[in-house]
Amino acid sequence: MKILIIEDEIEISKSISEYLENEQFFCETAYNYETAYEKISLYDYACILLDIGLPGGSGLDLLERLQKDNKSDGVLIISAKNSLDDKVKGLKAGADDYLTKPFYLPELSARVAAIIRRKSFDGKNIVTCDNLVLDLNKKTATVHENIIDFTRKEYELLLYFLSNKNKVISKNAIAEHLWGDNMDLANNYDFIYTHIKNLRRKLLQAGCIDYVKSIYGMGYKFENPK
Amino acid sequence: MKLFSRYNRLNLLATLLIFLLATIAYYFLLRYVIISQVDENLNIEKDEIESYVAKYNLLPEIMPVEDQQISFIASEITYKKKFFKTVIVYDRIEKETGEFRRLYFTFSVNGKWHLAIVGKSMESSEDLIQSIVIITVCTILLILVASILINRIVLNKLWLPFYKSLHLLKNFKIGNSQAFNFPISNIEEFSFMNNVLREAMVKADRDYLILKEFTENASHETQTPLAIIRSKLDLLIQDENLSKHQGVNLQALYEAIQKLSRLNSSLLLLTKIENNQFKETVEINLKDEIEEKLVQFQEILLNKNLRISVSLDEVIIRMNKELVDILLNNLLSNAIKHNMDGGSINICLSKPQQLMISNTGSTNALDTQRIFTRFYKSQPGNEHTGLGLSILKQICIVSNCTIRYDFKNDIHTFDIEW
Repeated sequence: MKILIIEDEIEISKSISEYLENEQFFCETAYNYETAYEKISLYDYACILLDIGLPGGSGLDLLERLQKDNKSDGVLIISAKNSLDDKVKGLKAGADDYLTKPFYLPELSARVAAIIRRKSFDGKNIVTCDNLVLDLNKKTATVHENIIDFTRKEYELLLYFLSNKNKVISKNAIAEHLWGDNMDLANNYDFIYTHIKNLRRKLLQAGCIDYVKSIYGMGYKFENPK
Repeated sequence: MKLFSRYNRLNLLATLLIFLLATIAYYFLLRYVIISQVDENLNIEKDEIESYVAKYNLLPEIMPVEDQQISFIASEITYKKKFFKTVIVYDRIEKETGEFRRLYFTFSVNGKWHLAIVGKSMESSEDLIQSIVIITVCTILLILVASILINRIVLNKLWLPFYKSLHLLKNFKIGNSQAFNFPISNIEEFSFMNNVLREAMVKADRDYLILKEFTENASHETQTPLAIIRSKLDLLIQDENLSKHQGVNLQALYEAIQKLSRLNSSLLLLTKIENNQFKETVEINLKDEIEEKLVQFQEILLNKNLRISVSLDEVIIRMNKELVDILLNNLLSNAIKHNMDGGSINICLSKPQQLMISNTGSTNALDTQRIFTRFYKSQPGNEHTGLGLSILKQICIVSNCTIRYDFKNDIHTFDIEW
């Protein structure tokens, strides 16, 4: 699957493609309006990451172009502006999601995965890992048809891990994903520790292997050797 | 005290004092003139007596004349010179005491010395003085009243441009870029003052806008490098050869970046609120909003063992939805952040439109003068940005509500009224 990164900040663009690229995704980059315009006209992408402020034009115009051509590419806006107005404008113009800089790469990856799932499976929204099956519509996790009783936060955490398989995710990124801005309240990361402990226990009890590894206290990794 | 009252008071005092002194002086002067007049008359009388004595060598016959007394007394002593004296005498005819001016002199008739006392009543002169003084005082009072009235009218008119300028100053809000329509005045001082004020206000306004723009640009420009650093960190921790020591350092980097980006977004938010970018208002059920927020915060409340007591009335306010969210978020997170383990929070939403959030915490009151200023921290070096309360204050300013801080019995309370 191809992903197009339209971002004029070369280093950010590089980081994104380095993080997202794996056996499943292949990333292309465009650093300005013209290149981006050309690429979206010529090719189809599973997901387009779009910065609004571009040299040579506005990302919103590119969105318009996609709509006109009836393209079904998923679009995630990555913007420096954190305002409801811009968010609403972007979503109205046909974007699927909106992420504000500075973001965590695992968060971006999770959002991209969600967009691609929504676009490609036409409502049949399922994520699997070995015997573990997550039904995103029903918000359930099952192993061999047995439902694992996760809390909402544990379920969100598991899905987050599955969108960032084999990647180390920092505690900060996890905290922001689960609690958003409120997290600056909790100076310690006890919460995360508790949630991860419960998640691991429940997965083990359901007969899964111990996927989640702690990495030097700075983060966690969901390891799936296959 | 108003300028007019002050001026009038001083003016009145000075005028009264001068008029009083003048009246007293006038009275004595008048009296002096009248006495000299009477003395002259007495001298004429004396001349008549002396010429009579010289002619007939007899004591003159005393004719009773009103307001005049003449008497001759055989005298041993002789005065070389005549002299005048003012005395109070009981008048048998008029049955009252009256002031008399008397002339004493001696003369000889047939070798016998006589003392002549010629007196004239001052009654009528006194009356004259009195009426003159009364007329004078009345005139003075009239002049005073007239001058006060004229002053008031004229001064009011003269100072009108000044008060207009004052009014403009009072309504001046920095950063609004409004036109400064100072009244045109042909009085040099006023037009000078207006020009200086206009220049100062335009400059203050412009400087403020530049500063605001700077904050906004600086925050925006910081975002990209922050995004780069964060994304590189996310990549860096993927390295499987990282040592534990490097991991600890990376974690510290994450924390610092997080703090920096939080600071940055808070500054941006402040500027946006100041720029009135949250204009759209809707009717909001505050009770629902608070209940929803409490659900969001539940986990954190539990973690800190905070007891929470809530009493919520149905209150509908009209405000920007995003701002309400930020407001409640800040209030609640403050109440949690600055609380101690096992402390308590009390939320009270009451009619007509009042929200009070109080919490236990530090046993010292916050500095009420400074709590709403940017980067105020109750304890230096703590984790927070020091912008939360400035944001609260700014939200209240643009939403036309008031926020107050109170500290009583070790309880910190924030009180917002719409």
